[in-house]
Amino acid sequence: MKRFIDHSELARDRRFVRQNNVLSTILADVEDNVEAVVEAIEEHAPLIENSVRGTAAEPLFERHGPGMLLVRPNEPMDPAHPAAATQLRLRLHGVFVGELQALEGAARSLWDFPDAPWEFQMNMARQCWDEARHVQTFEKLLDHVDVEPGMFPESTFLFECACSEDPAMRVAGVNRALEGLACDVFRDTIRYAEASGDETLRQAVDFVLADEITHVRFGSEWVREFTRDDPEYGQRVQDFRREVDRQFSFGGARSARKDASIPIAREDRLEAGFSPEELADLEELSARGPSSETLREALGVLRERHEARRQAG
Amino acid sequence: MSSGAPRKYPGYGSSERTQYAPYSAFDIPADLRELHGRWDVEAVAQRVRNYRYAEEWSMRILGGWVATIPELPVKTGLGKIIWDCAQSADALGERLPELRFARRPTGVALSPNPDFAKLVEAISEPEDPDLTIEKLVGIFEVLFPHLVEVYEHNIRHTDAIADAPSIELLENIVARHRRHMAWAEEVFDRLVDTAEERERREQRRRELGARLRACGGVTGDWPIEPENTVEAVRKEKST
Repeated sequence: MKRFIDHSELARDRRFVRQNNVLSTILADVEDNVEAVVEAIEEHAPLIENSVRGTAAEPLFERHGPGMLLVRPNEPMDPAHPAAATQLRLRLHGVFVGELQALEGAARSLWDFPDAPWEFQMNMARQCWDEARHVQTFEKLLDHVDVEPGMFPESTFLFECACSEDPAMRVAGVNRALEGLACDVFRDTIRYAEASGDETLRQAVDFVLADEITHVRFGSEWVREFTRDDPEYGQRVQDFRREVDRQFSFGGARSARKDASIPIAREDRLEAGFSPEELADLEELSARGPSSETLREALGVLRERHEARRQAG
Repeated sequence: MSSGAPRKYPGYGSSERTQYAPYSAFDIPADLRELHGRWDVEAVAQRVRNYRYAEEWSMRILGGWVATIPELPVKTGLGKIIWDCAQSADALGERLPELRFARRPTGVALSPNPDFAKLVEAISEPEDPDLTIEKLVGIFEVLFPHLVEVYEHNIRHTDAIADAPSIELLENIVARHRRHMAWAEEVFDRLVDTAEERERREQRRRELGARLRACGGVTGDWPIEPENTVEAVRKEKST
């Protein structure tokens, strides 16, 4: 078996379809400007349409056109909002495939880095069990909200961004950036579950969050250990993690901004070994990107154009 | 204390004994264990290093496969087995300093010979998503049953009193591997359906089984010949 695999080689059963990973990074690179957002989305319209055909996301495309990408990160999740159920379903499915990729990332670390310190391998092995349980937990939660695995397209962007061939960068990408994002998503999902009175969701996600904090802590400790005697290497690893975190901020959707749909889980991240300086930096780099007002206006424009195209036949 | 009262502690004279009846290790409960096992301290340490090698590589191989297996319950099922193998390897490593083998944990695993290492490499070879049967057969129908057999042999034939810590940790590992094999059996019941799939399973088992026998297994001396068993050695000594 070879060392290091490409994200396209992640094996799935026939229920799953892939979404082009380019679509996950569109908003990370766009300015806070309606025209720029509309142009970036229109440019990828065929890819977007192709990725949702035959999935449960198709009705969303029918309704919004390629602007459907803006529906989810547009605003914080609110149980009273008419789109709340759809948002929750999309989020839980996204988390489910994210957990699958986290399992695959941790497991590959065992095969890809056989000479790593034994304690590192023990941490990764433990993470395999944890991530496997998370996949099982979210499979049950999908059922809880009437979603089947594979109902929505899967982006393997998390694995692609996080799984470096360098062990320190791998652990920075998977354990600090990806698992850190998971902490943010789960803290917000717990908030949503409390607001909606969904105790099953709240308790399950709370357990998962406790594990994720442990995994981020593994990452914080191993990045320190791997780069201890080489400050220049340490800086490169930190830069890598910052770039992954920028991508994982989805143009401010995950940020400390008031309009973020996924706020940064500050307390959880501090507990997991992020320093206050790193958090300040994360808040700064994740805040870049279009505001929710810009996205809402862009969505309106895209919807109108989509409607016009449909009517034109 | 009055001179006629039963004593709780021995005194200096032969008449100053305690009141307590004597029991030895041979009384209640009866200790049927015998001293002297098949291996001395060094040999046990060597075997523990061999076992550690097998457990470590099982963990890594299964870790490598998780991403390449399309069947979701197999993917997630392997997560726990990876952690079990890691714990087994770790416990074996912890035993080594107690057997006068103290090194850094990463340097403790030892293949008994180059051919066993090649066998482990052969087990790890399948990576295509179509090859879940071949992957699982190598670990769950060849390597783990072999490890269980060798560990149980080790449990029976090592010094039951002096080497009890090895026995206890091997019993734990055997229990884990038995659970793993039972899980895999259920997976095979679902995955292996057609004659062609049954043949693939059987062929892989045959190929790897032959290589396992040829290299002497995880300790390089398997299968154990009857004339080398501890019972045979004891019998020979007594005659």
